[in-house]
Amino acid sequence: MTEVAEGAARPLIETTGESRRPTGLLLVAVPVLLMAWLIIWPIFSAIARTIWRPDAEGVPGFTLSSYVFFFSDQYSINNLLVTLWTTGMCALLLLVICLPIALYLRFSSGRMPAYVQALAIFPMFVPSIILAYAFIRVLGPNGMVDILLNAVGLPKIRTPYLTPWGPVIGLVWDNIPLTVLILLSGMGNVANHAIEAARDVGANRIQVFWHIVLPRISNSVLVAISFAVLGIFSSFTLPYLLGPAAPEMMGPFMNRTFREVNDPLNAITQAVITFCFCIAFGLFYVRSVARNQVK
Amino acid sequence: MKRRDFMLAAGTAAGALMLPRMSFGAEGVIDWYTSSDSNILDFWTNTVKPAFEAAHPGVGLNLVDAGDGAGIIAIGERAIAAKQTSADPQADFFESADPLLPAGAIDAGIYVNMKEAGLSNYSKINPAGIESDYSMPYRGSQVLLAYDTTKLDPADAPKTWDDLVAWIKANPGEFVYNRPDKGGSGGNFVRRAIHQANGLDPSMFTVDNYTQEFGDEALGKAWELLADIAPSLYDNGAYSSGNTQSIQLLAQGVVTMAPVWSDQILQAIDQGVLPDTTGLVQLQDLGLVGGFTRSVVLETGTNRDAALKLADFILSEEIQSAILTELGGFPGVSWDYIAPELRERFADIVPQSIPTFPGGAWEAAINDGWYRNVAPNVDRDA
Repeated sequence: MTEVAEGAARPLIETTGESRRPTGLLLVAVPVLLMAWLIIWPIFSAIARTIWRPDAEGVPGFTLSSYVFFFSDQYSINNLLVTLWTTGMCALLLLVICLPIALYLRFSSGRMPAYVQALAIFPMFVPSIILAYAFIRVLGPNGMVDILLNAVGLPKIRTPYLTPWGPVIGLVWDNIPLTVLILLSGMGNVANHAIEAARDVGANRIQVFWHIVLPRISNSVLVAISFAVLGIFSSFTLPYLLGPAAPEMMGPFMNRTFREVNDPLNAITQAVITFCFCIAFGLFYVRSVARNQVK
Repeated sequence: MKRRDFMLAAGTAAGALMLPRMSFGAEGVIDWYTSSDSNILDFWTNTVKPAFEAAHPGVGLNLVDAGDGAGIIAIGERAIAAKQTSADPQADFFESADPLLPAGAIDAGIYVNMKEAGLSNYSKINPAGIESDYSMPYRGSQVLLAYDTTKLDPADAPKTWDDLVAWIKANPGEFVYNRPDKGGSGGNFVRRAIHQANGLDPSMFTVDNYTQEFGDEALGKAWELLADIAPSLYDNGAYSSGNTQSIQLLAQGVVTMAPVWSDQILQAIDQGVLPDTTGLVQLQDLGLVGGFTRSVVLETGTNRDAALKLADFILSEEIQSAILTELGGFPGVSWDYIAPELRERFADIVPQSIPTFPGGAWEAAINDGWYRNVAPNVDRDA
């Protein structure tokens, strides 16, 4: 791992000289077309259907009324706010939890880090519905934690089940593997000799972290957070099973508006608004990748 | 095998599984869909399917879980589209469906008129359950209150709505009902509150009398009743996210009482999910809402005739008795067609009357109104 930082790696496929053939373009054509068909087209169709539709007299025309309704409806706004709160809280907790794990994995050797890494990756293999029910059994009311506390004579906890903290705990656990992996790959940019040099001139641990490690991995932090945030913002299963009835996150809210309230127009409006927030987070990711390429 | 080869082989196999499976409704295999809970699917898998296949050699059943009501409607829409192109809808039988949905399905001619289909058992159906000529009630269940008899003496169990409200307020945190759109037990508890707020008269609400004005007035009064008890519910106003989750809270001893479906609770007690000390009580001033489950046969299905045989079969005494003994539901046929010893054994759960509540526009109004008016107006941290 020590040599990684020295010099840019040679690209796998040489793109200079006579080897500039359309193979690469053909290879990406299939996923790009699929994306255009299954993702890009529905987005434009959804936006069009919410702003260009028949009015009360049945004459099609431009209208923003469904968006005006969303942003003037306190219930919808509360749902949006709780989604933003959950996303922000998850991102913060993910950083607090995953950064130390990644640092530990990068700077220690032996058998122990391998076990820690396996443990950190483990949530990736647990479906979220199983996680939700395990959560209810362990952290839920009269669950395992309560039983253990009771056994040593302590009072029960106020369970996070069916409160906004329920989805936060579940989503953080679910997103640990991806965040740790991305941060760990970023740690590859931190050269051992840079740290040794800093230590030689008397930097302590915090100074090493702040002046040497953090600048090299800031890009990875941004990527990890935008990945996690994108997934969390539109998550469905965990908020549905663990969250409160109201306010609800955008995922369950959209689903309920569409299926239970039989109101496709407002469901699509909610989807477009959710998409706009996600695209803002997505731009962070694209920007950081682009900055990386320039370097 | 080298790791690389293994990865390639595994990837290919996984890819092959994910290819869109081209399937056509097979002759002799009835494509059956349900939107009910898993206990119903289990009942069909373990009881109805073997019995039907034994009685009708050469005809098979392909049991598919469509998820929920919206799943069935989506398959109905597919059947309408298939009919327009004279294609195979790949569906023959809906275990539970409303023939009025998707809108225009009956006019499109995709559902069989069960009344005129010549079923030998059609005349046995309980007339109270018939809602349309295009659907066939075959089982029923009702919501009742389940409680823990070790914490609440059966003699003190509430018998009227007012008793229930008094009990909930006197025992804060001991009652939970699920969100009305996430399962019928909570949904019908909410509908019982609507009946309570509107003079206990279920006939006030019909499938086509919803108007914004009447809805706001009638439902508004019910939201007041429900918001009033909200602070005394489990965790200062939390609502579980489904029928099963309510039973889970009851099973973990977190709450003392919850509204439950009769068939689900009897099965849960039978399987030991809930202890024998679980008590059941029905409100006597007006029961909690219940209803019949109605099956629909597709006119355009490849196996239309076999599906009608299946419809006739589930009205037979064999299956109707099994609905009582194994499912804990009540039969779709009139009680006269049930064996006398069963009639006696299940006298307790046999309802005298089953209040019902219409679907359609009312359902959407309830699902939206409850979330806006009842769920948020509680300070859970108080």
